[in-house]
Amino acid sequence: MIQAVSPSDAEHDSEPHAAAKTVHVRVLRQDAPGQESYWERHAVPYEPNMNVISVLQKIAERSRAEDGRQVAPVAWDCSCLEEVCGSCTMLVNGRTRMACSALVDRLLEESPGEIELRPMSKFPVVRDLKVDRSRLFHALERVKAWVPVDGSYDHGAGPRISPEEQEDAYPLSTCMSCGCCLEACPQYTKIEAVRRDDESEADFEQRRTAAFDRGFIGAHAISQAVLFNGHPTGRMIADERLASLTAAGGIQQCGNAQNCVAVCPKHIPLTRSIARAGRAATVWAIKKLFDR
Amino acid sequence: MNVSDSDQSFFTRHQFLIYRLFSLSGLIPVGAFLVVHLVTNASVLAGPGSFQARVDLIHSLGPLLVPIEWAFIFLPMLFHAAVGFVIIAGGLPNVGSYPYVGNVRYTLQRATGMIAFAFIIWHVIQLHWMGAPLGGGKFDPHHASSSTAVALQPIGVTALYAIGVLSAVFHLANGLWTLGITWGLWTSPAAMRRASWVSVAVGILLGGAGLGALAGMRRVDVEQARVIENRMDEVKRMLEGREPVGGPAVRVPEAAPAVPVSAPNSSEGS
Repeated sequence: MIQAVSPSDAEHDSEPHAAAKTVHVRVLRQDAPGQESYWERHAVPYEPNMNVISVLQKIAERSRAEDGRQVAPVAWDCSCLEEVCGSCTMLVNGRTRMACSALVDRLLEESPGEIELRPMSKFPVVRDLKVDRSRLFHALERVKAWVPVDGSYDHGAGPRISPEEQEDAYPLSTCMSCGCCLEACPQYTKIEAVRRDDESEADFEQRRTAAFDRGFIGAHAISQAVLFNGHPTGRMIADERLASLTAAGGIQQCGNAQNCVAVCPKHIPLTRSIARAGRAATVWAIKKLFDR
Repeated sequence: MNVSDSDQSFFTRHQFLIYRLFSLSGLIPVGAFLVVHLVTNASVLAGPGSFQARVDLIHSLGPLLVPIEWAFIFLPMLFHAAVGFVIIAGGLPNVGSYPYVGNVRYTLQRATGMIAFAFIIWHVIQLHWMGAPLGGGKFDPHHASSSTAVALQPIGVTALYAIGVLSAVFHLANGLWTLGITWGLWTSPAAMRRASWVSVAVGILLGGAGLGALAGMRRVDVEQARVIENRMDEVKRMLEGREPVGGPAVRVPEAAPAVPVSAPNSSEGS
C-alpha cells in the first residue's frame, strides 16, 4: 500500500502519488533448488515511474526485510529492460508478465496495497525469482526452430520472400522466449528433475532431456515451427518439424484454453499458429498414412 | 538425445493418433448420436404416438440393435471418456489466475465432460434394459413415452436430467469449436470467432431440444399414452403376424375403439 508518510512533502506537490510514500512488496523466496519457499515482505521508497525491476534493485540495495532483518538480496533475472530479451518473466500480482514493463503505478491501480512477486510456477526455481527455463529452449531444439543454412559451401542467395509472407511471418519472429505462454497454459505442467547422488552429470542430463521430450512442447515452439515452415529455406526440413510436432508431447496436447495468446507480451497470434500447425499436422498425418 | 521408441509405452508412441481419434470420436459417432437422441426425444412434444413411432423405427433394427449400440455408441463413448480422463488428469486448470473466456470454456469443457459421463452412466442404468439387474431398466420400448414419463416423474430426477443434458450439450457445442482448431478447420482469430457463434447456435438449438424433450415427457398423460402405445403395439403385432398380448383368444375389435389390454383396471380418463 502507498502510505503517505509525510503528506506535506513539498517536492512533488502536483502529483498525488508522488509524495514520499512506501511501496510494499511481498516476495516468494526460495534459497536453492528443491528447498521450501517462504514469503518475505519488503518496503522501498516510492518514486514516480518505477517498474518492478527498479523495485527489485532497491530491495537489493537495502538488503533488509520490512521488519528490519538483514537478508540476502532477492535474486532475479533481467537484461534488456525494454521487453525484448524475455529474461525477466515472473508472476506479478499473480499474473505472468515481464518485470521490466510492469509499471508500479499501474500495478498499484489494479491492486492497491502491495505488489506480489512470485517466480514462474512452471519451471524449477534456481533461487528466489530466478528459474531454469532449459525446457523452453529444448522445445525450440525439438522443432528445429532455425533455418538450416550451415554447411561447408556457399548456398548462394536465398529465395525471395513476398511482402505478404513477410508481414505474416514478422509477428511470429518477435517471440523472445519469455515463457509467458507456457506459464499461463493449463496444459503445460512443471517438470523438475533432481540429480540423484549416484548419478553422473551426463546421466542426469540424459534423463532430464528424456523427461522434457515427453512433456508438452508449448505454444512458443509450435509458433516457431510454423514460422520456419513458412520460410522458403526453412521449409526444406518441414517434415522433420511436423514429425516433432506430432510426437509425444506434441501439438495434440494443446487444450485450446487460448491463455497463451491472451498473455503474450508481444501479441503474437499464437492460436493462429497452433491452428495452422494443427492443419499441417492433419494433412501430414494423412499423407504419411497413405504414402508409406 | 531422443529417447528410443522402446522406452516409450504404446500410448506415448501413438499419442497423436489417439488424441486425434479422441477428438474425432467426440463428433462422430458420439456427438452425432447425441443430436439424433435429443431430436428423437423431443418428438414427444408432438405426442406419445410420435415418439413411439420413432422408437419403433430404431427398434425395427431387431437383433442388430445391440451390436450397433455397442459399436457406434457405447464403445466410442467409453474410449472418448477414458482418453478424456487422461487429458483432465494431465491438465492444471488456472481460471482463477487467468479468467479469460477461452480459459473458462477450457475449464467448463472438462467439468461438463465429467458431469455428462456420470450422468450417462446413471441414465443408462435407470432406463436402458442393461440396468434392470441394478433396479433400473425402466424404459419399455413398447411404451416409450409412458415408461419414460413415469421414470422422470420426480422433479429431482427431471432437474438432474436437465443438468446432465445441458452438460452434454455444452460439451458437444464447445467441443465442436475446439475440434475445428485442433484439425485446422478455422485458423484465423476471425474465423475462430465466427465458428464460435456457430457453436453457440448449435448449443442453443440442441439445448432447446433436450429441455423440450424433458418438458414433453413431464407433460405426458401416462394413462392416455398407454392407450395409444397399446394400440400401436397391437397394430405392429398384427402386421408382423404375431399373436396379440392378450393371448390367442382375444381378437382386435374391428370397428370399436381399441381397449387398453395391459392396463384393464386403469380409470379411463373420466
